[in-house]
Amino acid sequence: MKNSTKRLLTVLFAVLCLAPLALAQAPAAAPAAAPAATAAVPPPPAPKPILDADLAGTPVPSADAHAKGDPDGSLTGNASDVTVSDPKKGLTIGDLANQVGQNKIAVNFVWTLITGYLVMFMQLGFALLETGLARAKNANHTMMMNMGVYGIGMFAYWLIGFAIQMGGVGAVANLGGTAPLSAEFTATLFGKPFGLFGQHGLFLMHKGTYDVGVMVLFLFQMVFMDTGATIPTGAAVERWKFSAFIVTSFLFAAFTYPLFANWAWGGGWLANLGTNFGLGKGYCDFAGSGVVHAVGGLSALAIAMILGPRIGKFSREGRPQVILAHDIVLVITGCLILAFGWFGFNPGSTLGASGSGNLRIGSIAVNTMLASATGMISAMLYMWLMYKKPDASMTGNGFLAGLVAITAPSGFVNPVGAVIIGFVAGVLVCLSVAFVERVLQVDDPVGAVSVHGTCGIWGVISLGLFADGKSNYGGAWNGVNGSVTGLFYGDASQLVAQLVGVATLVGFVFTLSFIFAFVVDLLVGQRTSAKSELEGLDLPEMGALAYPEFELKS
Amino acid sequence: MILLGILLTLLGFVISVLSLGVTSSVGGRLAMVLVGLAVSLFGIMGVLNKAYLKNAIWKKG
Repeated sequence: MKNSTKRLLTVLFAVLCLAPLALAQAPAAAPAAAPAATAAVPPPPAPKPILDADLAGTPVPSADAHAKGDPDGSLTGNASDVTVSDPKKGLTIGDLANQVGQNKIAVNFVWTLITGYLVMFMQLGFALLETGLARAKNANHTMMMNMGVYGIGMFAYWLIGFAIQMGGVGAVANLGGTAPLSAEFTATLFGKPFGLFGQHGLFLMHKGTYDVGVMVLFLFQMVFMDTGATIPTGAAVERWKFSAFIVTSFLFAAFTYPLFANWAWGGGWLANLGTNFGLGKGYCDFAGSGVVHAVGGLSALAIAMILGPRIGKFSREGRPQVILAHDIVLVITGCLILAFGWFGFNPGSTLGASGSGNLRIGSIAVNTMLASATGMISAMLYMWLMYKKPDASMTGNGFLAGLVAITAPSGFVNPVGAVIIGFVAGVLVCLSVAFVERVLQVDDPVGAVSVHGTCGIWGVISLGLFADGKSNYGGAWNGVNGSVTGLFYGDASQLVAQLVGVATLVGFVFTLSFIFAFVVDLLVGQRTSAKSELEGLDLPEMGALAYPEFELKS
Repeated sequence: MILLGILLTLLGFVISVLSLGVTSSVGGRLAMVLVGLAVSLFGIMGVLNKAYLKNAIWKKG
């Protein structure tokens, strides 16, 4: 690289690093002085209550008028569409109030379902990303793992996982109650109740959970779990025995993920660190940097350690060797699909668009975009400066690292915070990939441990630093009044709550994943034979090549 | 070695949870949680991973 280009990149890198920090330190503009009162203003008249009789005269378009069509939409949707409980009485205030309530819940249902569908679409992003980074001889196997985890994970989650995670969450007001999810198993420690797992909701039939609100919650939580479950397939690609993958993924969806998700989101002990121990608003994780990504990333690390590196990944002296991705087009397409799906992941985690501060969905979506942009920029610049080229796969990883990191804080930080969080994540993922490969000598072909594990943990910590205390989701979070506020805005205890969450992820979730993977290794064997690996897993494991008309190198 | 690694990783988690009951100061809890994290990370990277690297496929030639 020419010296002038290098200097230009260095300056750009420094400006991008310092500008957000400078902005974050900028003092807030002084509030404008209130205009002086010039004359006494008479108090407004008291509002007149609306009576049922007032509704009797509400104009309704005639059937004849509507029969001619409604090209400008002025006739469709009127008082005659409000459900009347008693036709003899006609439209009443009670009918209107019920309709308003149902409209609010309907808006929230539709919002949560559609964002859930977006998150489901992320499975395609993961499939393309991982397959593109693998070699062509493993493409069928990699795609099948990404599709298989969707069905296997969902089935396990329906059987037991959802009940463990959400069976004791209590009423979710945005979804109209979810009252049947009311039984959390607790133990007492230090004189305080420690919620450990939920007990209602097995098969979505148990204890009254055949309920419209519960169904919406299940769909949304299921696709989140499946996002976590698909992360280890990236780290284990090109050498994971398909049968072992099925059993390990089942255990992940049934136990590993739901346990931590219960502690963080289902009314468990981490969520109650604020009410029980005075630590901020308890462990906070708005959309799952910890619950989804760090759980997935740490499970990926456990599995990758047990599997060992691919043949040819390290020289006999232990030096890492480059194994080229077979299709960068798939990789970048996958990254962009994931970024699109993230607009379901983060804004959807309000579980509603109406009421309880949910209009913050705009801010959450913008934070998501900004962090992905700065994550991509910083990773690209880092690679350009360090390795002379803006490497495509690491730029893609930086893009995803920014998204992973902003997932937890997206609901609680301002745009400047989001920019900094994404920027740090982009550099962090590059450093982490090098550390995992060169120091740990763990083979992670797609960088799943670094993107989801390392940057997921950074996201959890960054919330404890950058939460600005301006969000308000119904006046409280995790049962503690007030807004979530991080260290830089005055609450150090929130950072401690976040670190307790990180310690639980590293100390407990990793261990549980490792034990499950270890037992499966003993019983089934996690790794394919060397012969299958050299041949490529498509034929030995799946019985068909992804690209039968290509000439493959082994 | 594998069992030792698992136990150390879990011990770090236990230390972090104990911080909630042992002290009520934010600084004290922060220190204990960081110690717990360090112990867990040592268990994973210093013990468990090393145990697996002993028999790594690239060392077998």
